Amino acid sequence: MSNHLNRRDFMKMSGAAVVGGAAAVTGCATAGGGATATGSIGVKAALPGAKGPRLVIVGGGTSGLTIAKYAKKEYPKFDVVLVEKRDMYSSCFSSNLWYAGLVNLEFLADHSFLDAARNNHYIYFNATVTGLDRTSRTLATSEGDISYDFLVIAPGISYDYGRIGVKDPEAIDALRTIYPGGFISPTEHVTIRRKVQEMEGGVFVQTVPSGNYRCLPAPYERACMIASHIKKHRIKGKVLVLDANPEITIKKDGFHAAFDELYKGIVEYKPGSAITGVDLGNKMLKTEFDSYHFDDAAIYPGVRASTLIEHLGLADPKSPQKEALISQLKYNVIGDERVYVTGDSRPHPYSKSANTANSEGKYVAKVLAARAQGRDINWYSPRTVCYSMVNAEPAEAISVDAGYILDKTGQAIGGFSPDTKLFEKRDAAKGKGTLEWARGMYREMFEA
Amino acid sequence: MDRRKFVKLCAGGAAMLAAGLRAAQAKDFTDFPRVRLTDAAGAPLKAAALTGEQAYVFHYPFRSLPCFLIDLGKAAAGPQNMKAEWGEYAWPGGAGPGKNLVAYVAVCSHQLSYPDKDGSEIRYAAGKSALAGKSGMIVCCAHDSVFDPAAGANRLHGEAEYPLAAVRIEHDAADDGLYATGLAGVELAERFFRVHKRRLIVEYGPGVYREPVGEVAPAIPFDKYTASASNC
Repeated sequence: MSNHLNRRDFMKMSGAAVVGGAAAVTGCATAGGGATATGSIGVKAALPGAKGPRLVIVGGGTSGLTIAKYAKKEYPKFDVVLVEKRDMYSSCFSSNLWYAGLVNLEFLADHSFLDAARNNHYIYFNATVTGLDRTSRTLATSEGDISYDFLVIAPGISYDYGRIGVKDPEAIDALRTIYPGGFISPTEHVTIRRKVQEMEGGVFVQTVPSGNYRCLPAPYERACMIASHIKKHRIKGKVLVLDANPEITIKKDGFHAAFDELYKGIVEYKPGSAITGVDLGNKMLKTEFDSYHFDDAAIYPGVRASTLIEHLGLADPKSPQKEALISQLKYNVIGDERVYVTGDSRPHPYSKSANTANSEGKYVAKVLAARAQGRDINWYSPRTVCYSMVNAEPAEAISVDAGYILDKTGQAIGGFSPDTKLFEKRDAAKGKGTLEWARGMYREMFEA
Repeated sequence: MDRRKFVKLCAGGAAMLAAGLRAAQAKDFTDFPRVRLTDAAGAPLKAAALTGEQAYVFHYPFRSLPCFLIDLGKAAAGPQNMKAEWGEYAWPGGAGPGKNLVAYVAVCSHQLSYPDKDGSEIRYAAGKSALAGKSGMIVCCAHDSVFDPAAGANRLHGEAEYPLAAVRIEHDAADDGLYATGLAGVELAERFFRVHKRRLIVEYGPGVYREPVGEVAPAIPFDKYTASASNC
């Protein structure tokens, strides 16, 4: 059971990146600017002396962990330092499965940064980045300055509440706290898990943003997981999916089948329903033509590159999601082959998903290893292998396996590769596959 | 487990140590004790009794390391030069009178998925699989990799970069029996133990999982070995 994604499907992800290719020629205000490392606390970080070219990686998510491991494998002379602000890992991927009890928190979080560093011969440095001076090649952190030969910044995403018409900081804070999106930090997942377990009835709203948001199928998958919980426990409630897009953005046949066949009367799907405002007092979400009452919600606002990218002066001013201005083929900041941006802050129209970040990370590790030795490598596509659980009783899933090709310029991503396949007929085998996919990712990032 | 202990475990004795080190330089297969393959009941497995419809799972050369025995139903030419993460080696081609019998470690070279009693993402698909788009391939649905068992389990598609580790098998024309005699990819076994240690200790017991398999190795039809197979 497979069919192919077409160009229209691809364009759903590429809206944010249309200008990315052109940006390479228009140049960038910040490139080569010699900014000062504001944010330095004025001391050097307490690190062992570099034993080779120092590769500093910011961000211990899928991208950063993959690059830390594989850059060292590709070029053992690299002295790799992973700067991560969290002191405890918990994955964003697979967190939806927790809401239906298919996995527990241990599944998501029983993975140590220390073990990853030890097994793969790099340093895990628990600090927050506060500044960057590209002239002196210095990264400022909350624990002191670090000199680098090569720097990879993989800080993930930040939420953009402006995209749902919310600009007041108090309202943003309330939304963030009471109705978290659940696509960035583990504490959001814990809150959503509690919401699901405490559900006694009423309308739970799951919103789906426009643009190239993190993990296209995840809001629909989450709707299925919560609906599965509602069904199992015979709760008099429903999940209302308010989708900013005109149609389910990926694996639509598989999700529609699940909504219709498994969750009739439990999941209500409303396409073309971009949120334009929120009335927290009355628990109302506004769209262009309607308003919807909710009893509880996971409000996924717009997505943008991590604010860190902007703070460090690396954002493309033309990018609607404030993504980094980098070479789409080599990931370096335009005009600076020492600094790279990867993962979900990249401007590529790739799926912002763990498998893509992992696959891409291995490629970027090869780019870095080659460049550290004065060479270069040819571009090749990452893969997006992405499972979505659509049923929890029993566990059944659908999936997609996508690659990408370059456009006519050869400098930017142009579409899905011809070998892209969709597997939209849900079954238990893919349900098991979903779990093993995640275990494999953990092994990949934390084991040797 | 350090390398020295590991190599010692592989067979013991200076000759085996030398073989292990030679494998570390990635020139060849590592010899392990010759083990007869049996059926589930312990009777010697006959090549003529094999069906090409599915793989058989046996463990070799360690108690927990799963391998696929496959009757390709056609000759697999050898030798072929293979390139793995740990080096290069010559895969000998199929064994048996029809050169149609091959064996590989059933652990995906990508992120080490393997068959257990509950399920398996990696499988030999005798018929056409949706992922490979053709018949007779080993597919791993955890992250969608495809390997060609008629060509040393070379990687054809997906995130895996390298072939599956190969098991050398020998056919005894006198009684149509089958033996496993060596492994190309000791490093993979080492990694398998390290990465899956917690699971293997639960399943086999501390230390037991890395013990030599013993005199014989039962080869169980895949659908009897695992409760649920992938279908990508």
